[in-house]
Amino acid sequence: MIKTENLTKVYNGKPAVDGLNLEVGTGEIFGFLGPNGAGKSTTILMLTGMIEPTAGRCFVDGIEVANDPLAVKRIIGYLPEDVGFYGNLTGEQNLDYFARFYDMNAADRKERIAELLRLVHLDGVTQKAGEYSRGMKQRLGLAQALINDPKVLFLDEPTANLDPEGVREYRDLVTRLAGEGKTVFVSSHILSEVRAVCRTVGLLAAGRLVAQGTIDEVARTLASPGGETFRIVVETAEDLPDLSDPDIIEFERDGNRAIIQAKSDIRERLAAAIAEEGLHIREIRLEEPDIEDAFMALYRG
Amino acid sequence: MALDRLLNVARKEFSDQITSRRFIIILALFLAISAIGIHTGIENYNTLLDSYNQQLQYMQDSEAPYAGWMPEKPSIMLVFSAMMSYMVSLGSVLAIATGFDLVSREKETRSLKTLLSHPVYRDEIINGKALGGIAALGFAMVLALAISFAMLLIFSIVPTVEESLAILVFGAVSLLFLLGYFAVALTMSTVAPESGSALIYTLVIFVLVSSLIPILGMAIGNVFVGDPPQPPQSTPMVVRSDGGGGYFTSTSSQSVVHVGADDPAWQQYEEDRKRYVQRQALVYDISYILSPQMNYAVVSMAVTNPRVAPMISSPYTYDYTQVSTAETPGLADALAQVWKNLAALIVFPSVFFAAAYVKFMRMDIR
Repeated sequence: MIKTENLTKVYNGKPAVDGLNLEVGTGEIFGFLGPNGAGKSTTILMLTGMIEPTAGRCFVDGIEVANDPLAVKRIIGYLPEDVGFYGNLTGEQNLDYFARFYDMNAADRKERIAELLRLVHLDGVTQKAGEYSRGMKQRLGLAQALINDPKVLFLDEPTANLDPEGVREYRDLVTRLAGEGKTVFVSSHILSEVRAVCRTVGLLAAGRLVAQGTIDEVARTLASPGGETFRIVVETAEDLPDLSDPDIIEFERDGNRAIIQAKSDIRERLAAAIAEEGLHIREIRLEEPDIEDAFMALYRG
Repeated sequence: MALDRLLNVARKEFSDQITSRRFIIILALFLAISAIGIHTGIENYNTLLDSYNQQLQYMQDSEAPYAGWMPEKPSIMLVFSAMMSYMVSLGSVLAIATGFDLVSREKETRSLKTLLSHPVYRDEIINGKALGGIAALGFAMVLALAISFAMLLIFSIVPTVEESLAILVFGAVSLLFLLGYFAVALTMSTVAPESGSALIYTLVIFVLVSSLIPILGMAIGNVFVGDPPQPPQSTPMVVRSDGGGGYFTSTSSQSVVHVGADDPAWQQYEEDRKRYVQRQALVYDISYILSPQMNYAVVSMAVTNPRVAPMISSPYTYDYTQVSTAETPGLADALAQVWKNLAALIVFPSVFFAAAYVKFMRMDIR
């Protein structure tokens, strides 16, 4: 549903996004992770047709965005970071203004707006958007992003101003939208937020895609910069002998316990080798890298 | 569909303008002061009309053939001359207030990014905003003209078809003048990061084109053309009562005619003087043409008082001896005589609208 090919954006000679290649499938909830200034918002601006790439191409639902930005905008919804509205209009009037850019007649607009205001719990709110709290603006932002019932939803730091209840409702909504076949692209620098809703993630640092896949796959990639490795912990009742396997990279032994770095998940082969030695296995498990540590290391540097 | 999107933006901008407290307050002041100006103009018109009627009565009552100037019926358009000064001051304020935060406010509130995420092109947004602002100023102008029409009718003054047309042309020229400062404000709103700066930049340009450039133009003109030629000292000067022949100057107290048209020194002096005035007029014209105030004054004077159109279009080169004999030109002729100023009134906002358009299209919206 979303695809980029060597997508690049250069500002004042410095690449904000540098040769980005990304693919997000239909119905996915994709987390776009990265520290502040990594190029996430710039990527979204290019994907939503709001700025043109310096080089490369990007596609949404097969449409090249730079060639037909309006066609893309008709099928997407976008919640910008720190979303803004017309302070002199009510939430309903703001939504009506945006809805008029789509092929919706007055009755359709009225029905859709009422439905969305109910969804974000702003129905019955008569105050002007200028008097809204940041959380209310964020919820109205979500409503405006959904005004055209989009196929693809781009959310930039969507939970930044929400209270815990708002965050829970947002997560439920995103999950429901993905269940309806919509693709959701969530940009955030908060790992826990992305982890809570996203099935796949892409990790951006200094304008470049560092890793893409499931959270665990990305964490493993980060934990082993030389290529993906597996960390296997083995503990036996007796002292462990030397174990040999062509995929073993490193073998650290301490009596009856060993930590093995391997090129692949060789737990079954290790178990068989230990059993052949007549030893009793107490534990053999794949140790997942500490994802928070891996991301923090990247953020720092 | 493109027109729909543009009109959607324009409708919102128009609605925002005419419901904003700032616009309503300035508009109310503008209308109130215009109404006072019109009222003063109507009183002056009635005084002139009375004087005209008295002269007609005198002519009818006089037994001897009348030897003086034929009295001329005052024009209703004189009433609108009074509106000009209010248009220049409060009208400019209204135009600047309408445009200075049209784009910058959207940048400040971040609503521009939200708007651009929907299917609308940037040019439709900037054109829609300009159209909405122009419509709001047009609305103000229509109100002002409607009030003036109503006041004329209240005072039992019924304009002829020609006068009604001239009033509409005056309204159009006044709107053109307002668009000049609206376009400046819109451009500055696009250039400046926030509304405060946009207002300051607009006021700087306002002062520059309304006062500084004409003053500088005069100063530069005087430096550029040098000292005026001096008349020959030898020729005697005689005060004559009639207006025929020779070089004619006037003061508030008397007319002085330099007799000596056949004197070669005087002929040379007159040639030099003519060239000097033409060079000076050229520099003045260039500096004045950059000032919407000057152009508006010239064009609206031509509309409200066509008789003086040739005089104000070339004040330095006009042959003032023709004032009493020249026929009053029609509205079209009067406008033709001030075409440079009219063109400048059109070009000035066009340049700034183009600048706003280009800047908005290239604006970084991160």
